[in-house]
Amino acid sequence: MQGSNTEERRRQRFDQKVGVFHQDMYRYAAWLCRDKAIAEDVVQEALLRAWKSLDALRDDAAAKPWLLTIVRRENARYFERKRIETVDIDNLTASQSALLSEQPNDDLSDMREAIFLLEEDYREPLVLQVLMGFSTNEIAEQMGLKQGAVLTRLHRARTKLKGTMQAMAAD
Amino acid sequence: MTMNCEDYRQTIAEDPNFDDGDGHLSECSECRTYRDEMRVLDVKIGRALALEVPDLVLPDLPDLENVVSLSDRRRLSTPTWFAMAATVLLAVFFGVRFIGGDGVVYDSLADEVLAHVSHSPMALRVTDVAVSDDHLHEVVPANIAEMDESTGLITFAESCPINGHNVPHLVIQGRYGPITIILMPDEKISSAIALSDENQQGVILPVGDGSIAIVAGPDEALDEVQKKVLKSVVWST
Repeated sequence: MQGSNTEERRRQRFDQKVGVFHQDMYRYAAWLCRDKAIAEDVVQEALLRAWKSLDALRDDAAAKPWLLTIVRRENARYFERKRIETVDIDNLTASQSALLSEQPNDDLSDMREAIFLLEEDYREPLVLQVLMGFSTNEIAEQMGLKQGAVLTRLHRARTKLKGTMQAMAAD
Repeated sequence: MTMNCEDYRQTIAEDPNFDDGDGHLSECSECRTYRDEMRVLDVKIGRALALEVPDLVLPDLPDLENVVSLSDRRRLSTPTWFAMAATVLLAVFFGVRFIGGDGVVYDSLADEVLAHVSHSPMALRVTDVAVSDDHLHEVVPANIAEMDESTGLITFAESCPINGHNVPHLVIQGRYGPITIILMPDEKISSAIALSDENQQGVILPVGDGSIAIVAGPDEALDEVQKKVLKSVVWST
């Protein structure tokens, strides 16, 4: 009986602290791997791993960075297994194209394509800052970088995106 | 001191919400325009990043009371005090049970090592930032072991409980990802023990009166890592 109660409490904690972040987990995974289907797989694996490791989450307030760290690792594992190296914008798979095609607004569609083409080193800190609301210190922690490196990458990311959007507008 | 245009634009491109440059903005209309452009750009970036999230099917979460797997074998149905007492008695009489740092009972050292690694995702970051020498020496004091630099880039070092002992838990960066090394000077084993689960491979090597666990991703060349670790670690006792 006590075992069932423990299990029930564990599931409640999981729903409250982990389940609420599944949208963030998906978006982070999708921008890391640039593929909707792979992102779904990565999130599934990450949720399962989070469930098994829930006891390692000591501070509930740290649930979001903890989960995104698991997503990051699962994404790395996926690509270690599959050996997918690069994405060619002219030869996207259906699942990759789907990531770009869901935006009906032309301007945002261009921006999404520009972000899609951004190098991962620049794309990831941008996602963490703009979408996840991380501070540059938190991004540095998440990515294992020094804060100065994060600032440089954010600066370059925005400068590149600005240039790309201006070039697209000129075409 | 007022920022110049270059500093201000650098800062705004790092974080368009930066709002501490009023001194400069009051005298530079071009930078005001640049800031406004960057803020508009950031709103577009945010909207473009906010992908529609599909209806995710949550994975079937296993009932951990009944799971019998390498990394999750645990007893949740017995009162904690009773489980602990029973575990100690079993260990005393049979010497075959392993007690994790969190009181969980494992059937073998291999199970406990794999579970510990799986439960420490923050340790397994891909990074090029090494821990400080001071911190490393705190975790691996000279009276436990001597390590030379050939171990590799050590990016995590903490003292962690394995089978009732606090031991050095280290992570180095391998060719395909982080590699865990757990130094267990008091865990004497008679022969090497292979480790594996769905995402990890590894080995516990007998080294003198202790042992060293190495756990890596499935693609890592474990032989090379073993040689490197054995060459770089020497017990002090």
